[in-house]
Amino acid sequence: MPERTLRAAPRSWAKSLLLTLPILLWSLLMFSRAMMQPGRAPKLAAAVTLLFMVALFFQMVRTFQTYRWRRYFFVAVGFLFPIGFIWDLIALRGSMSIPVERMLSGDTPFCFMVIPMMIVPAALFGTIVFPGSILATASNPHAIAAMVALWMCATLLLGKAWCSYGCFFGGIEEGFAAVAKKPRIKKLDPRLRWMPWAVLAAVVLLSAALLEPVYCTWLCPFKTVTEYMQVRSFETAFQAAIFVVLFLGLVVVLPLLTKKRTQCSFLCPFGAFQSLFNKTSAFDVRIDRARCRPCVLCEKACPTLSIGAESLESGQPRLSCMKCGACVDACVRGAAVWHIRGTEVGPSAERARLMHLYSAWGFAVLFGGSIIANTLEKLFGLLV
Amino acid sequence: MKRWRAILGNTGAVATLAVLLAAPFFLYGWFQNGVAALHLRIDPQYSGGEVARVIQRDGYQVVVRKPVPRRSPLQRVDPFVQMTWTPAARLPAQVSDEIDLDGDGRPDLLVSFDTAHLKLDVTPRTPGYRPVHTAGVVSFSELIARVNDGIVVRVPLR
Amino acid sequence: MPAGGLATEALLLGISSGPVCLASCSPVLLPVLAAERKSVSGTGALLAQFLGGRLAGYLGFACLAWLLGLSLNLEPRARILVYGLCDAGLAALLSAYAFGLRAAPEKSCEHGCPASRARRFSDRYHTFAPVSLGFVSGLTLCPPFVAAGVRAAETSSLPLALLFFAFFFVGTSVWFLPSVSLAVVQRFAAVAVVARFTLFLLAAWYGYAAVIILGRYFLHA
Repeated sequence: MPERTLRAAPRSWAKSLLLTLPILLWSLLMFSRAMMQPGRAPKLAAAVTLLFMVALFFQMVRTFQTYRWRRYFFVAVGFLFPIGFIWDLIALRGSMSIPVERMLSGDTPFCFMVIPMMIVPAALFGTIVFPGSILATASNPHAIAAMVALWMCATLLLGKAWCSYGCFFGGIEEGFAAVAKKPRIKKLDPRLRWMPWAVLAAVVLLSAALLEPVYCTWLCPFKTVTEYMQVRSFETAFQAAIFVVLFLGLVVVLPLLTKKRTQCSFLCPFGAFQSLFNKTSAFDVRIDRARCRPCVLCEKACPTLSIGAESLESGQPRLSCMKCGACVDACVRGAAVWHIRGTEVGPSAERARLMHLYSAWGFAVLFGGSIIANTLEKLFGLLV
Repeated sequence: MKRWRAILGNTGAVATLAVLLAAPFFLYGWFQNGVAALHLRIDPQYSGGEVARVIQRDGYQVVVRKPVPRRSPLQRVDPFVQMTWTPAARLPAQVSDEIDLDGDGRPDLLVSFDTAHLKLDVTPRTPGYRPVHTAGVVSFSELIARVNDGIVVRVPLR
Repeated sequence: MPAGGLATEALLLGISSGPVCLASCSPVLLPVLAAERKSVSGTGALLAQFLGGRLAGYLGFACLAWLLGLSLNLEPRARILVYGLCDAGLAALLSAYAFGLRAAPEKSCEHGCPASRARRFSDRYHTFAPVSLGFVSGLTLCPPFVAAGVRAAETSSLPLALLFFAFFFVGTSVWFLPSVSLAVVQRFAAVAVVARFTLFLLAAWYGYAAVIILGRYFLHA
């Protein structure tokens, strides 16, 4: 397999198709059930999603580039997930707000963001501090056991790459970050990248003390595009204001101005939590110091401030690296490379990239692909 | 040593692919069953607590749950006791029941509400409970609400 | 009941209540232990200071209640006032402590400007921060503390009541011992930055809680 050095010529069509074949077969398997559903909308949605995912993978293989094509998928998930979710909420209860009645009946859909906050109370008191259901019910398919199981599978497969292939919120800010050609704000205080860890520590400690999911009740900006507690009091109004300000600031405005994923870099405690699993993943990104100049193109390209001066010295991005591939694609000297842990840095970089892509993209088809298809089915249902 | 590390690394990479193949068919189900087998329960401030007793009435029943105490000084939900009148469809228009919460034969609360507007009046008969006069949700520990096929009442403890 | 039996009862009550005490004290204790980046023995010393302050809070409150003839099972309004004041105290103390944390000592201004005075206060406070934070944590009437207090009030004398509390405290403190393992993070310089940010976030939370609780107390007076 030819190794990529400087900007290599695209791979041949025949080889690219051959390498894409496993993903095509996997996608056919994952979407087969949807294709067999009655009605044109589910079939059309499944077909469009399948073609979309396979085409993106083909391009990733052919062009030796990862970031740009992955971003199309990720932004699609980020924008289509809230559309589908809100659609279901309006159909079910006519509103995005969660009435207390729904919380009392255990019908609140479980979100993966709760996972770090529920561990300590579960260990100390044997209770889950979330108004959901442990097992799926007719009125709540997004049960706790199912989401935790999904997260465990994703963590085994991806580690922190969940933030590049799994998270159904990150694509929103990644989309806004891609809008401007150049950043208006170029310098960001590097100490701010430690905030997600502080938020994680604070919400984990407070959730155990208060016996409630503190991040969800106080800090989650994505309440703005999913569901939130009914505004009945000063406190719930204050909470809603915090959600809106954080969403507009960290998910819309700052990504537009900085071209960085600022919510992920400066707030998200789940991202910090997933960073702990970066060391358990078989794949990572390394910087071959023999080839590195350093021109710091990788540092500028990284959307999450995961490359700094010390990374170039040590040959390793920071623990917050999401394995999005931006640095690898930006590096003109082939110094930033994909890598299998334990092996030598540099040789077999392309093999490492492909192996990582098969597992990451396989998960993306399974999870993100189903989100895309789900929403497209609703949209196509209006047309066909 | 270098060679062994490379072998382990490559094995891990291949294992990741195996995990992907196994995930939707085996792992997901196993993990789900594993979580369910931990015998965790939803926190009682949301679930209402364990069922203490069921009081039969004419055509309906009142499910009385154990009081949910304050477990932490920082907890924002005040202690309460929850009762559920079910099935809601068979309740009279105006419900007025004396409820013995602790099973000592003496009524602890007089609970009255109308099923149409959910206007609630709770008069304590024994100390330890706070009176309630509300229609709807005041807080997690003081409310009347239609939940599934029942009407849930939460009365705060003193 | 003989003193030995009372002590055993108190110890077992403390051990069974430990998770609640650990959960409610951890937001105050753990960031402080992490921020100091000390060795195992140093972290243990800090923990001992915090627990000592907490014991002083427990015993002081119990003595006061005994002398005033009050029940520890306070009326709801009195409990609200205690919670609110403790939260306000913790917000102030955590803020002062976090403000004093920094990577390297700065030169203080010689002209005695407010920023310099604040900096000197934070530096002086730093030394006895763990004790004061433990003391205020001990004053919060957590349910196990109230249960222990009610039981202690049934004893025949103040010394026996204090003995009960002391053994109850030892029982709860067993759960705090694993927090010494936070010393493993001392080698990461970033831990101090993270701990400082965490302390500010927690101080903001306690401050908000104090405003809401005390607001509720005075508005419903």
